[in-house]
Amino acid sequence: MTTKSAVPPTPSPGRARASLAALVSTTLLLTSACAVANSGDGGDAGSGAGGTLRVVLGQEPPTLEPCEASLTSTGVVVRSNITEPLIERDPTSGELLPLLATGWQQSEEDPTTWTFDIREGVTFQNGEPFTAEDAAFTIDRAVNSDLACNVDGYVFGDMELTAEATSTTRLTVTTGDPDPILPLRLSFVEIVPRTTSTEAKVREPVGTGPYAVAEWRTGISITLRRNEDYWGEAPAYSTARYVWRAESSVRAAMIDRGEADIAAALDPEDATEENSVPYPNNETTALRLDGTEAPLDDIRVRRAISLAIDRDGIVDTLFDGEADPAAQLVPRGVVGFNDELSPTPYDPAAARALVDEAAADGVPVDRRITLIARNSQFPRVAETAEALQYQLAEIGLNVRIRMTDTAAHLQYQLRPFPEDAGPVALLIMHGNQAGDAAFTASQYLLAEGPQSTFGTPDLDQRIAEADAVAGPARQDAFADVLTHQDETVAQYAYLAHMRGLLGLSPSVSYEPDPATGDELRLAEVSPAGDPRPRDED
Amino acid sequence: MTVFLRNRIASSAIPLLFVVLGVFCLARLAGDPVDLYLPLSATEEQRAEFSAAHGFDQSIPAQLWDYLGQVVRLDFGESLRTGQSAGEMVLTAFPATLQLAAVTMVIAVLAAILVGSVAAYRPNSAVDRFSSLLAMTAASIPDFWFAIVGVLIFGVSLEWLPTSGVIGGPEIWVLPIATLLIRPFGVLVQVVRGSMVAALSAPYVKVARSKGASERRVVFGHALRNATTPVLTVAGDLTIGLVNGAVVVETIFGWPGIGKLMIDSILQRDFAVLQAAVLLTAVTIFALNIVVDVAHALIDARVRQPVQA
Repeated sequence: MTTKSAVPPTPSPGRARASLAALVSTTLLLTSACAVANSGDGGDAGSGAGGTLRVVLGQEPPTLEPCEASLTSTGVVVRSNITEPLIERDPTSGELLPLLATGWQQSEEDPTTWTFDIREGVTFQNGEPFTAEDAAFTIDRAVNSDLACNVDGYVFGDMELTAEATSTTRLTVTTGDPDPILPLRLSFVEIVPRTTSTEAKVREPVGTGPYAVAEWRTGISITLRRNEDYWGEAPAYSTARYVWRAESSVRAAMIDRGEADIAAALDPEDATEENSVPYPNNETTALRLDGTEAPLDDIRVRRAISLAIDRDGIVDTLFDGEADPAAQLVPRGVVGFNDELSPTPYDPAAARALVDEAAADGVPVDRRITLIARNSQFPRVAETAEALQYQLAEIGLNVRIRMTDTAAHLQYQLRPFPEDAGPVALLIMHGNQAGDAAFTASQYLLAEGPQSTFGTPDLDQRIAEADAVAGPARQDAFADVLTHQDETVAQYAYLAHMRGLLGLSPSVSYEPDPATGDELRLAEVSPAGDPRPRDED
Repeated sequence: MTVFLRNRIASSAIPLLFVVLGVFCLARLAGDPVDLYLPLSATEEQRAEFSAAHGFDQSIPAQLWDYLGQVVRLDFGESLRTGQSAGEMVLTAFPATLQLAAVTMVIAVLAAILVGSVAAYRPNSAVDRFSSLLAMTAASIPDFWFAIVGVLIFGVSLEWLPTSGVIGGPEIWVLPIATLLIRPFGVLVQVVRGSMVAALSAPYVKVARSKGASERRVVFGHALRNATTPVLTVAGDLTIGLVNGAVVVETIFGWPGIGKLMIDSILQRDFAVLQAAVLLTAVTIFALNIVVDVAHALIDARVRQPVQA
């Protein structure tokens, strides 16, 4: 060990200065060598002048693969902008409208077969003509390939399906069993040219839509340019640019500042009358009660929970009035919506009486129930969970809250459910974007449905019967299914039909519809004061 | 110096290995990505296929063995979310964070030395008290709050700066850097002040003054040089801590850096990207520690002395 005196070595200011200079120059070199920030006008989304529509999303799409368009973050960019389906569903009326198919019909002799007339004179953005063969290829790629497309699981499940082009303008689709809603299902399949890979998903697709992918700067922006050879009416803006900001307050600030024209999903505290418009977004919130675990296995307790929820209070104070108390899992406009159901009235006294009655019969009503909710599921979700916890405690139930992230929440949402979780009340938000209650019933109401904890053979039977019929009979049959679920099963304590808030700059004109959150049609946006699309270039 | 460097590298490599193993195992305990990536109605077969395709059906030790084998070949796997190479994604995002961190730390260190030295020169003066208040405030403000309020005041109300984003002139740097800067600046001012007060009252400063050295030379030549050691150590730690700040800044300002990439890959259980990001960050921190140690040894002979003896 050597002992050093406290006297410092002779200072050498020259060396210190040299080190400082080296430090500064290294930093500058780093900064310039790997510059993320480039010069440009008006921020990431551009200036907005010269016909650029600037959209700010909550997150970057993981991919633009059309067969993944059922994922919200992908679909909102891809659907009806880059690619188009054969048939589109009017999000408000639910009516099916011709798009790349001009007409369709179910064979009378063989109800498993549908034929579709394919629109002529349409070309893909790469110049190839669109024919029935492309449509057959796309359906086969989405449903029968090894790509594990989201649309396959979401819309087709394990259906058997073959698609064949009998001529350039005629497509035949055959299913294993007769499927009265095949055209609705096909409205989710975004058509791609037959040259698209079947081995791997594509990040930047080619389609027939009004916009084509121009540039994707990973992490920064996606630019679409107008497809000048588009078969339909030309959209107003020559370019559309998407950027993404995770914070609602920043998205709102971008609208306020004029850095963006449209902002996805604002939180109520960031929205003002000037920067946003509310719209019904097809989402319904509810508590899913696990009917296999005491005390939730007793229907009186489940009914009591529904009676204990002050829906009006939650809607007024936590959702700022931007929601409607719900009486069923699907909103108006979906086939099967039952007009006669009304929200359970808030009646804590009656709820308390039901709980006491159950307790008297030996139901362990003091067993702790876990209320599981997901962070950022909807604005003020944590406060909603707390309000529910309080309201359930008021009727004598013992509830604890567990907030989770998406992955953990999915473990409770999907079969197989975690074991030993005890009684779970799961706060869910269900969006039926397909417009038919069959999609809700198969997931949430069947006894063995992937997102259902229990059911009854009788309800399963009714669902199967409803699924086999079409037209007005289908509406009535599913409306009956929803009533029956409430009266005999009561797996859900409904909360509200939600509304979304779309950030909208005064400089553009656009009317959001229930599908806007999943499918933001750029062609429907026009400069303010000019509702008709026009060329700006 | 070579021996010193070798020993430092050897002792830093062990924590690096622990970080890699820890992230690998903990990520897998946090939940199955199958539910996130497959449609809600996916069948059991589809789930099994997905697990097999990505190796999730194997035991964690077997997965780890495969992973280590890949890492040796510099193959970091593929992102579950985007299908891109995880290594490429991380290398694309990293420079953005590096830029922010480097610029922030240079400004923080220079500004802290200036403010801290001025404060220490006349302890308990009004200037000292004001700079301490400033430093305490800066070190205590939550960066998240600061960023959002910054956007509302300078972006929306005053319209001096863009709200967010990475495309534009120098003005786009201001809010992200200010947000990242506040904490290191606040902490460093206090450290500089503390060690400068001690240094300025040391006997060698009196000797220097009695020899007739100029005040500038006394403060910057003698005192500051000796006060630098703790500043360097703390600055090194704070730079490492900037990774946390980067998550907030990159998320709010839409900066495509590694902090944002990391948080997204955690939420999406995108293991390959998470592992690559953590590995790269850990290697950087490991390299940074060595740089700090070497700088330390260059400035203070006592640090390298035991190794040479």
